[in-house]
Amino acid sequence: MRYNRQIILPEVGEKGQEKLGHAKVLIIGAGGLGAAILPYLAAAGIGEIGIIDDDSIEISNLQRQVIYKSDAIGKSKALEAKEMALSLNPSIQINAITDTLNAKNAIPLFEYYDIMVDATDNLHTKYLINDACVVTNKPFVYGSIYKFQGQVSVFNYQNGPTYRCLFPDESSNSKNCVDSGVMGISVGIIGMFQANEVLKMVLEIGNVLSGELLIYNMLNNDQQKFDLVKTNTTSISRLDFEKKYNVVENTVLEITANEALEQMENPDVLFLDVRNEEELPKVSLLNSIQIPLSDLEENLDQLDANKTIMVYCQSGIRSKKAVEILKKHPFLKVQSIAGGALKLEEVIAGNAVSI
Amino acid sequence: MLSVKYFGAVAEKTKVQGENLPVSNLSLQELVDELEQKYDLASLSYSIAVNQKLVQDKNSYLLMTNDVVALLPPFAGG
Repeated sequence: MRYNRQIILPEVGEKGQEKLGHAKVLIIGAGGLGAAILPYLAAAGIGEIGIIDDDSIEISNLQRQVIYKSDAIGKSKALEAKEMALSLNPSIQINAITDTLNAKNAIPLFEYYDIMVDATDNLHTKYLINDACVVTNKPFVYGSIYKFQGQVSVFNYQNGPTYRCLFPDESSNSKNCVDSGVMGISVGIIGMFQANEVLKMVLEIGNVLSGELLIYNMLNNDQQKFDLVKTNTTSISRLDFEKKYNVVENTVLEITANEALEQMENPDVLFLDVRNEEELPKVSLLNSIQIPLSDLEENLDQLDANKTIMVYCQSGIRSKKAVEILKKHPFLKVQSIAGGALKLEEVIAGNAVSI
Repeated sequence: MLSVKYFGAVAEKTKVQGENLPVSNLSLQELVDELEQKYDLASLSYSIAVNQKLVQDKNSYLLMTNDVVALLPPFAGG
């Protein structure tokens, strides 16, 4: 039986193996750290592992990214990593994502997985991972290397400190392996420390490095731990996150009813009424469609994304929400009509004054 | 006597991993200012720990004999 050697450990047992099988872990980065983390999580039987990296294998990677083969140079890291993990353990699920983690995909991804593992090589992404973990309330296992020293910790775990509690200053310009250099064994050891944290978290055994920063020195085997407490108790909402990383525009584009009606005969314009069927007054417009706001997301295929879509509701509030939804999907030319159907009717009846 | 330990890029600037300093009765901020001057650390970003605990407010932390101060820069490699 595949997992026999760990099941007989009192700390694991069949129950522990079940926990491993139900766990979903996302490894962000398939480089030096990822190459050490992935095989051990796959071998232990983590049920579902995501691996996200948009890089291809280069020859200089092979001195430390030991899961790749020399004849695979040029191939996608995420896909090769998946193949390696599945040939080691065909009974688990591996999701290879050939993309970079960014502000658009971070939150949907983190919502899906239980634990994130930071196997990245730059500070900017570490802060992004941190913020997306705070928004989605998920923990992440931090790991990083500088020449012969490495750092490991677990952030946002059971209300513990975050990466920003440790390094609040985002302006640092720490070097990565390209600039500083690294031995394969150094980054391998730190990656394995990270895999170890994941297993402790899933199995709920031992002491997880939450509230503790471990620094290990490969040259003298010095190991130090530093305690840290949560300093940053403000939570980040998804909206704050999106504003910070400029995911959606901060202001919803709004136009006046007058301006909207000037486009009434324009075949490239589509008027979208997001009220419910029974709401009055009905506004008679040539190029129009009605999809109630609550049904909008499921019926986006009814809308032509090449047209400029002018959204209206009763008075201009729901239409702004509709514009936000459309922009995410992404419809590029969307506007909300200020004042809604009531204003449109006024203008049409010839009683309006330009706003 | 204070003990100071350096890590990562900070240790590269100081060229030692640690040293003992015959100083006393100063705040953590004062020590940091001295070290920044001595080793030209102003361009580096790092967090500080005393006796294995991260300290946020350097100004109000008064150092005592035998305290161990650590300068911890973030690492980025992976």
